[in-house]
Amino acid sequence: MKKWFSATVFMIALAMFVTGCGNNGNSSKPNENSSAPSKSASESPKSVDNEKEVQISFIHWRGEDTKVFNELIAKFEGENPKIKVEMSIFPSEQYLANAQAKLIDGTAGDVFASYPGAQFETMFKAGLYADLSDVGFKSKYTENLIKAGQKDGKQYAFPYQLVYNQPIYNKAIFEKLNLTPPKDWEGFLALCETLKSNGYVPIAFPGADIGPGQFMNSMMMNNNTDEEIWAKVETGQAKVTDEWFVKTLSQFKELNDKGYFQKDSLGTSKDIAGSLFAQEKAAMLATGSYMLASNLALNPELKQGLLAPITVAADQAVYEGIHTTTFLLGVSARSSKKDAAKKFVEFLSQAENAEKYANETGQLVTVNGVNYSTSELQETVSWTSKKTRFHPRYLISVAAIEKAVTSSIQEVIGGVDPVKAAENAQKIIDQNLKK
Amino acid sequence: MKHSKSLYLFILPGLAIYLLFFVYPTINGLILSFSSWDGFSERKWIGLDNYTRMLTGDSIFVRAFQNNMKFMISVVVFQTILSLFFAILLTKNTKKNVIYRVLFFFPTIISSIAVAFIWGFMYNPNVGVINSFLGNIGLDALSNNWLGNPAMAIYSIAFVQVWAHTGQMIVLFVAGLQSIPEELYEAVYLDGANRWQAFRNVTWPLVAPAATIVVAYTTIQSFKAFDLIFALTGGGPAYSTEILSTYIYHTAFQSSEFGYAAAQSMGFMVIIAIVTIGQFKLLRGNRAY
Repeated sequence: MKKWFSATVFMIALAMFVTGCGNNGNSSKPNENSSAPSKSASESPKSVDNEKEVQISFIHWRGEDTKVFNELIAKFEGENPKIKVEMSIFPSEQYLANAQAKLIDGTAGDVFASYPGAQFETMFKAGLYADLSDVGFKSKYTENLIKAGQKDGKQYAFPYQLVYNQPIYNKAIFEKLNLTPPKDWEGFLALCETLKSNGYVPIAFPGADIGPGQFMNSMMMNNNTDEEIWAKVETGQAKVTDEWFVKTLSQFKELNDKGYFQKDSLGTSKDIAGSLFAQEKAAMLATGSYMLASNLALNPELKQGLLAPITVAADQAVYEGIHTTTFLLGVSARSSKKDAAKKFVEFLSQAENAEKYANETGQLVTVNGVNYSTSELQETVSWTSKKTRFHPRYLISVAAIEKAVTSSIQEVIGGVDPVKAAENAQKIIDQNLKK
Repeated sequence: MKHSKSLYLFILPGLAIYLLFFVYPTINGLILSFSSWDGFSERKWIGLDNYTRMLTGDSIFVRAFQNNMKFMISVVVFQTILSLFFAILLTKNTKKNVIYRVLFFFPTIISSIAVAFIWGFMYNPNVGVINSFLGNIGLDALSNNWLGNPAMAIYSIAFVQVWAHTGQMIVLFVAGLQSIPEELYEAVYLDGANRWQAFRNVTWPLVAPAATIVVAYTTIQSFKAFDLIFALTGGGPAYSTEILSTYIYHTAFQSSEFGYAAAQSMGFMVIIAIVTIGQFKLLRGNRAY
């Protein structure tokens, strides 16, 4: 009996010891008042030259940038021999899931990237961002392009990339057929018809993955010009069964029914759609400027431009395109190496380093004084002077609602009536309304 | 015979592992299911709200369950029939049969992600080999948008699941078939039975315990077929391949609703338990032999 009792006590002690070692969402006690980050976080980066060597962790999702980041990290480590940077890359779809635990316990992600909108909001609420309002390198960024990293008047992250989330078109095909980007919906349909009758797929649409979530932005930008529309949908003040969204779905249906997307578009992934475009079988690619470089890698002869479908009459069009500032660089509020982390962000914010990043990845950046060397980037930079709207889908903060919206587009392309698809989406939205 | 109580100490290592890696996470999950937690901030106790939402206000959960049932029934029926059929053909331990068994078993050892990659390419409507093959032999009418057609996608994935796991079930059936005494067949043929009657009256009753295991295993396997679906379609298009396990993942890691995902997991656990217990009860009669 005594032995049995001892064994039981040992077991309980072992269980308590092991479970005590684990991380618990409660036990780490995140910043309870997330809008008041730790004081040290808002100080300027200090010199770490006289300190012992530190290793900081940099996490993000852009596997395609590995090479240029490795080069930049090597340069940074050369300039800062006491700081080592360990880069970890997680796939974008599982980024939050992978980064979450590491960011919470502060074991990784001294410098971390995040998406704007829902992801930034979630991480902000958890108090993960150090306040970067007072850092000297803030002035290196274009002021109106870093708003996506601001909250309550403070700067918590610096959006690094400037992306245009609207279709890419093949300039050579357009020139050959004497076509120009149209100014209204009728013109867009006529353009697609001309392309189709000349043997081209008018629009390569990656309906299996990113297509609905990308193309919906430019398709809806002029159908409802209210930038608060998704906030209203999320609180029940507006519905997707309203005329503007049913119209957007109907226009998707029209493009599909007239054969302006490639056959079986819902089974087409981003890579396949990209290769249809790069092979010049398709004249437009419904993704965004982030694919200009990869298209060019597939076909160095490509001449690419950006356009957006204007879904209303020319005189009713308010916006010409869609932009996003993304890849928000933040410093973890839970990092014990904030100074070194801020030094690394400062390094990335220098014009010459941002320029290297931009020209090697084919992405515009939000840093001032950068010279773009490729024709694609020069084409893209011309859009900075146009009237573009911030990526509407990023303003949907509830993931279940976002998925209901993109699924309604897939339903319409799959043959469901736009009104019915909107009703199906609204039913899910009603179940997930923000309280 | 008198047992020493100290013998119980021998079960302690196993018990400790079980408690730590099964009981503790399950209890933790159960507690979490009564909370609202986004994975970052503090947990908030909300009582039965997550369960109420799951049972009365979540049409996607219902749809995911329906997809699960479609997937499970397709996989259980076809995988069981096919594996039994091939097992009967490959029962004898001849050199040729062993080679065939190895070939059928081979997909089982490939990782699900690799299987998904292979079939994702084969099913691709633009460059996939299935549609190309059908086109080349003049059967264009049969080509389909295998993973992009909401009405077809779940069955296309069920086919891949059957392809990947039939070999595994063949092994179980072969073991069951090889344990049937040859004399029973000699007796039944002497009585004038044909092959179908021999199957009905000898093979099936005696292979039924193996069939019970195959059906139960296939059911649980198809309910939990997360990786294949996640890699092939991610639950789309338009929720048409969303099953409970992918939906729970999306709730947790895309919507950041960990408390609600825990409640869904509890519901999922109960559903699997009910289906499995029901199957065992239905198939229990088969153990009469």
